[in-house]
Amino acid sequence: MRDRFSGSMLTVTIVAAVSAVISMSITQTSAQAPAASSGAAPAPALKTPWGEPDLQGIWTDETDTPLQRSPKFANQEFFAEAQRAELDKERSALLRRDRRVERGTELDVAGAYNALFMTQKRTGARTSMIVDPPNGRMPPLTPQAQKLAAADREFRLALLQATETCKNKSVACSGGKYDPTPSPRRADLPPRYNTARMNRHDGPEDGSLPDRCLTMGLPEFGAATGSFRRIVQTPGGISIFYDVGQGQGWQRNIVMDGRPHLPANIRQWYGDSRGHWEDNTLVIDVTNFSPKTDFQGSRENLHLVERWTRTGPTSLEYVVTIEDPTVWTQPWIVKQEFTRQSDQENRLYYEPRCLEGNYGLPGLMRGARAEELAFAEGRGPHPATKDNATDFVGVEDDPLQ
Amino acid sequence: MRGRFLRSTIMVAIAAAAVGAVISMSMTQTSGQAQSTRPARIEGKPNFSGIWQANNEANWDLQAHAARPAAVTQQGVYPYDYARVPAAPVLALGAAGAVPGSLGVVQGDGQIPYKPDALLIKQQNAEHWIDRDPELKCYLPGIPRAMYLPYPFQITQSTNKIHIAYEFSNTARTIHLDKVAGPPDDTWMGHSVGRWDGDTLVVDVTNFNDRSWFDRAGNFHSDALHLVERFTLRSPDIIWYEVTIEDPKVFTRPWSIAMPLYRRVEPNMQLLEFRCNEFAEEFMYGHLRKQPLVKHWEGDTMTIDVTRKVPPGDLFYQWYGK
Repeated sequence: MRDRFSGSMLTVTIVAAVSAVISMSITQTSAQAPAASSGAAPAPALKTPWGEPDLQGIWTDETDTPLQRSPKFANQEFFAEAQRAELDKERSALLRRDRRVERGTELDVAGAYNALFMTQKRTGARTSMIVDPPNGRMPPLTPQAQKLAAADREFRLALLQATETCKNKSVACSGGKYDPTPSPRRADLPPRYNTARMNRHDGPEDGSLPDRCLTMGLPEFGAATGSFRRIVQTPGGISIFYDVGQGQGWQRNIVMDGRPHLPANIRQWYGDSRGHWEDNTLVIDVTNFSPKTDFQGSRENLHLVERWTRTGPTSLEYVVTIEDPTVWTQPWIVKQEFTRQSDQENRLYYEPRCLEGNYGLPGLMRGARAEELAFAEGRGPHPATKDNATDFVGVEDDPLQ
Repeated sequence: MRGRFLRSTIMVAIAAAAVGAVISMSMTQTSGQAQSTRPARIEGKPNFSGIWQANNEANWDLQAHAARPAAVTQQGVYPYDYARVPAAPVLALGAAGAVPGSLGVVQGDGQIPYKPDALLIKQQNAEHWIDRDPELKCYLPGIPRAMYLPYPFQITQSTNKIHIAYEFSNTARTIHLDKVAGPPDDTWMGHSVGRWDGDTLVVDVTNFNDRSWFDRAGNFHSDALHLVERFTLRSPDIIWYEVTIEDPKVFTRPWSIAMPLYRRVEPNMQLLEFRCNEFAEEFMYGHLRKQPLVKHWEGDTMTIDVTRKVPPGDLFYQWYGK
């Protein structure tokens, strides 16, 4: 009975993820043959007919670079070519999410969401996307942010304490310990608005934002499924459509006329963007984020300054300064290099259709209600001993991380 | 009998039904100033860039209709269609839940030429509006509906692409002036290929799925839908928008709709977010909560008890005394 519940829940999650397969297979195609696809199109001018720098087209990061530098590569900003080739070889041999564990266990069923769903691209030139601080790591958290993060972590671990995940000392339980007694905190509100997976499905708000088709917006670094952005310009105006996650696309219309930001009481998932040109660089100031967003612990006080510069016919540099004095002790800077993609090969990127195919979120709730009923009727284990959301194998292997 | 008015076994959608009212109120605050930096023409063609919005009742019903008490009604004390009363899901909204009348946007005789079987489906759609209209679930609106939803949209016109970003549901479409082939699968928003006919932008839209509706009245189409849109600037702040609608699986002949789209000329106008999938969560998943917020779920059925507590002093006959 137990296995039937978790099995059916995971099946619906897979159905919901189908759109990701399409975008990822396209990612891999274009990553393999960038020269062929860009060579077919005429070389684009770097200025628009009205004289502004031309950032237009579909852009993506064709390589994998971890946000933070692994301690293994400390003091090394760039990989040597031989190192990249070696890492590519090593990484392409990894089973990742295709790794199987003991058959019939929940952990193995979770592997149905296999490696096919995750983009793996060629190793990038940099050892980290973070270029400042120079060590390639996020700056230390403020004491206040550390406290918030610890409280959040403690709550999540409490929901896991009676499960196999902790009993087996899985990655998802790191920092916690096994205790067969269900935690009294299972009915508590999380310490703050939940944005991440937790081992509880009392209502939709217990789902992670991506599970709710509410993937966070900015800054957008591609994550496990890669991301694309289409830029279209008009005199004095810029529109950017992002294709991210599994059909969780969204758009920005950059206000370019120098007016101030939105009033402080208007908070948005993707913030409020105000742009201007500095020579050939589009500079965008982003504020007014919603407290429901979360980027590495930063919420409504997140402030971004993005710098978009066309560096060549098929290349675009993206540099973003990330600042939140309530979370980090200093601002930090991330740099990405985007490559222009073929229009013809990227024709499905305007449909943020996650919601219509999201059988996963109601499936998790329905499964939890069924487990509760089974337990109440003496047919199943205590629901607190089950973990059907947080434990996976194969995500910890990447030598880049 | 009284219980029948107050209790209904239809799922609720108060927020969605109220949207039209909210938007038309904000429309009255327009200041009349136009943006000055926008050139009238780009590469010799009229520049449609800017933020636009329909200001009509087409999203309620493309066809001419008299005002009615609510989007969801039920029989009142009389058995006549003209004497129906609001049903429970929208009852508490009072007159704000009513449907405004309209002379319609369907051209010619005002009729939508359904095939007989399709007309039956349209009528059933209307009866099951709350459960069937994709707008209530925040699914993508499709074209042409996205053009006259009561939400603004922004046109960014370049030389080979014209991008339209819609406030509703984060959706968008790109009009390709450079003849990109259609996508390998069908879509809600279609595949748009544009060309210029003098100063009119003509857009051919294909590759649709059969999911989107034309309005809240249940007007629908199949995956054979083919649109030809015509955008013509009638003045700097008005686009005349015409669409020819062809779908041989559903209609006996092509038909068309037409309406003005107005520029949102407020100097501080910008698109805000309307990320409605969050707003539809309770509607779609509320019955799966451990502790339901709506107390009368029976399986998938939401049974609505309308309990409206009027604070002391706010009864309607006390209002003038305040």
